[in-house]
Amino acid sequence: MSSSSGLLFLSKPCCTSFIETHLGNWLDGFPIRRIRRRRRPFRSWTCQSPQSETVELGKSKHLEFPIIAPRSRELSSVCSCRAIGSNVNEDADDMFDDLFNKHGKVVFRRNDQKSPVAEVDDDAESLSFAVAMAKIASEVKAADIRVLFVKPLVYWTRFFIVITAFSRPQIDAIKTKMGHLAEKKFGRTASGDSKPNSWTLLDYGDVVVHIFLPQQRTFYNLEEFYGNATPIELPFEDQQPFRY
Amino acid sequence: MIQPQTHLNVADNSGARKLMCIRIIGASNCRYAKIGDVIVAVIKEAIPNMPLERSEVIRAVIVRTRKELKRDNGMIIRYDDNAAVIIDQEGNPKGTRVFGAITRELRQLNFTKIVSLAPEVL
Repeated sequence: MSSSSGLLFLSKPCCTSFIETHLGNWLDGFPIRRIRRRRRPFRSWTCQSPQSETVELGKSKHLEFPIIAPRSRELSSVCSCRAIGSNVNEDADDMFDDLFNKHGKVVFRRNDQKSPVAEVDDDAESLSFAVAMAKIASEVKAADIRVLFVKPLVYWTRFFIVITAFSRPQIDAIKTKMGHLAEKKFGRTASGDSKPNSWTLLDYGDVVVHIFLPQQRTFYNLEEFYGNATPIELPFEDQQPFRY
Repeated sequence: MIQPQTHLNVADNSGARKLMCIRIIGASNCRYAKIGDVIVAVIKEAIPNMPLERSEVIRAVIVRTRKELKRDNGMIIRYDDNAAVIIDQEGNPKGTRVFGAITRELRQLNFTKIVSLAPEVL
């Protein structure tokens, strides 16, 4: 659909954190991976190389980007893969290298980047939380429990838990039990649906729990949409998938 | 800047193609709706042989606006069209997939279901 096009303007010098983290994810085919505007007195836009070095781009007041949504999940995963460090899109890297060679002046080196070790620690923490949640679901006899590692596909969360429950009281039970454990053991509270719904969503930040009724599960088919995500092996015996 | 009589595109596969806003929900005094607001709308154009039909009154969440959206960090997002996603009374989307880029403000407004069906989140 052509409706996803538009323009993104950057105007303040402080708008760096989001851009540094995410612009590389979705601006596919654009040679800029990390962008930063330098502070006064210079009004210039800079972009950051994979080696954490900064190159100047332009001096206009607004820097414009086209908003281009990927046409398919695959493309999206390719974009995201770049963000986690693999060299999938060589063309963009070449273009970036050209840009770097042309300007070739290091003006800023950032040092507040999260180290890979801290990133792995965070992932492990979320994983333990996700597995604990999945375990609770299996205790309340939910079926077909899937834990998906969606961090390489979407930036806004790390794990999806997809669960089938068979009635609204059961959904309520799962929700309350999860809420208790999350608050007691992990100190987290969920946002999302407050009442049991045919698709109940519990949003714990880096873990998002989807509880479906069987009909809705096949209707929305979330696992197919996130087909490229890595499924996580669960340490307990899962219920048999529900047959229709 | 969506107000009654504004025509919007539909950004999902529910079967409707064009909507017309007839009421903004949740703000009695508010003149314009922005991204994340729920509106009551009437279907002006629909794909044949789909559950939704022309002249049906539905609820929808605005996901894209031509009026720019400002963020605290100085970022401004402006789309080429006004678009909405059709939801039911419980807040579940009527379609199974959402098209195009949407903003993450929707997640803060408890529309995480729409966010999780979208191909790209800005």
